Amino acid sequence: MNGVIQGGWEFVIAAYTITGLAFVIYGISLIVRLKELRKHD
Amino acid sequence: MLTAALRKELLLQWRTRSQMMAVFVFGATSLLLFSFAIGPNAEMLRTFSSGFLWLGLLLSSTLTLAESFHTEMENRAFEGLLLLPSDARALYYGKAIANWLQLTLLGCALVPVMVILYDAGTTALLKLLVIIMLGAAGLSAPGTLYAGITSQVKAKQMLLPLLLFPLIVPALLASVKATSLVILGDPMGQSKAWITLLGAFDLIYWSLCGLLFGRVVED
Amino acid sequence: MKSRVPYVFLALGAALLLFGSYWGLFIAPAEQYMGNVQRIMYVHVPTAWSWMLAILWAFGCAIAFLSTSNMKWDSRMEAGVEVGVLLAFMLCCQGAIWAKPTWGVWWDWDPRLTSVAVLLVASLGIMALRSFVDDPHRRAIWSAVATIIASVDLPIVYFSVKWWNSLHQQQSTPNTVSSAFYIPLRVNAFGVLFLMIGFIWLRTRVAALRLRQETAIPHGYEEAGELA
Repeated sequence: MNGVIQGGWEFVIAAYTITGLAFVIYGISLIVRLKELRKHD
Repeated sequence: MLTAALRKELLLQWRTRSQMMAVFVFGATSLLLFSFAIGPNAEMLRTFSSGFLWLGLLLSSTLTLAESFHTEMENRAFEGLLLLPSDARALYYGKAIANWLQLTLLGCALVPVMVILYDAGTTALLKLLVIIMLGAAGLSAPGTLYAGITSQVKAKQMLLPLLLFPLIVPALLASVKATSLVILGDPMGQSKAWITLLGAFDLIYWSLCGLLFGRVVED
Repeated sequence: MKSRVPYVFLALGAALLLFGSYWGLFIAPAEQYMGNVQRIMYVHVPTAWSWMLAILWAFGCAIAFLSTSNMKWDSRMEAGVEVGVLLAFMLCCQGAIWAKPTWGVWWDWDPRLTSVAVLLVASLGIMALRSFVDDPHRRAIWSAVATIIASVDLPIVYFSVKWWNSLHQQQSTPNTVSSAFYIPLRVNAFGVLFLMIGFIWLRTRVAALRLRQETAIPHGYEEAGELA
């Protein structure tokens, strides 16, 4: 590695988007599952 | 007790030896198929020969391992075996040793196929035998435990490889590396390190799986 | 059962993660060699730490279940395995995104990334096993055994891949973390950690509720009776 890697913002944005989306989607799925189960309880 | 369990397993295997033949044909066929994935490039085939040998053995092993609890489950003899005044551990090690011998035999039988198809001969036969024995031991210890679990589950054909394949990655890696060093030459003397790794893997899983098997079959 | 604590953890974790990521993206300087790409580290490394804790948690719960036979530990283990799958999946994605601009390939056979991928597959296998067993007691024992075996495999996979990799190519990994990068890294580490705790907590509730409903209605016991 000789020079500085130029740019690369698109990779950074992709990584943060995936991370954020995964957390949000999983959180929503958990709350939905809990609600669903509580209904039957 | 262990010898009795082992004798039972070996007798069962001897009685179903036509099955063993079928598994060998399956392994040889997969070796043949792997070469089509590469194409008629003798140099490349020779380089990858050890990887193909172990993949063939791994694929065949799912067949033999899945069968290893079949007889007991089919005839509901398993509960009877557990009622005997014996340790579940003896039962496990009997099965695991039988599977180990079977896989070693299968591995040795696949070597000539590999030599012919890929031109991957070697004169260090004793070393190759040791590697095959250690590698087969690495497959059979967790394989027998997981076969014991999956034989009682609905989707057994699917679950056994799903559970076993990720687990034996280190054993596969070490076996392939050691075998290819034997076949392609080992100027740096690295194969000893890989054989040690295999041995450590075997030691860990032969003791851990024996310890846990009692819980798997209880109740 | 209805405590609000897990939601507090989730809110706190989200706030910390947002703050740390903002710092990492806009305040921290670009790294000397890696440039802006290095900013992925601020989420990647905290995710890796939390993932290891989740695996450790699942391993501990498996041992606790086998020694106490208390189904509470089974629900906790189920939660740990599933959150571990989530984190491992994220790690593989982030790792691939990091590898592309730095090494030119999406997948590099780095020992850490490879062990995460292997354990991700192993955890998915455990989840599949759980979904195929109807009897809660057998499911608990078998998946605890599988979890212990898979966790023990983790260090072996790591060292064997490391060895395998170092023998055919030497990979230089930029690991120089200077003080300017500490703050976002630490804030995000706690952010992901709190999120993980909240998730495992809530997922344990889901598992416990499901178990209660399963055992209340004797459904799926026909097969179990057949085997026993």
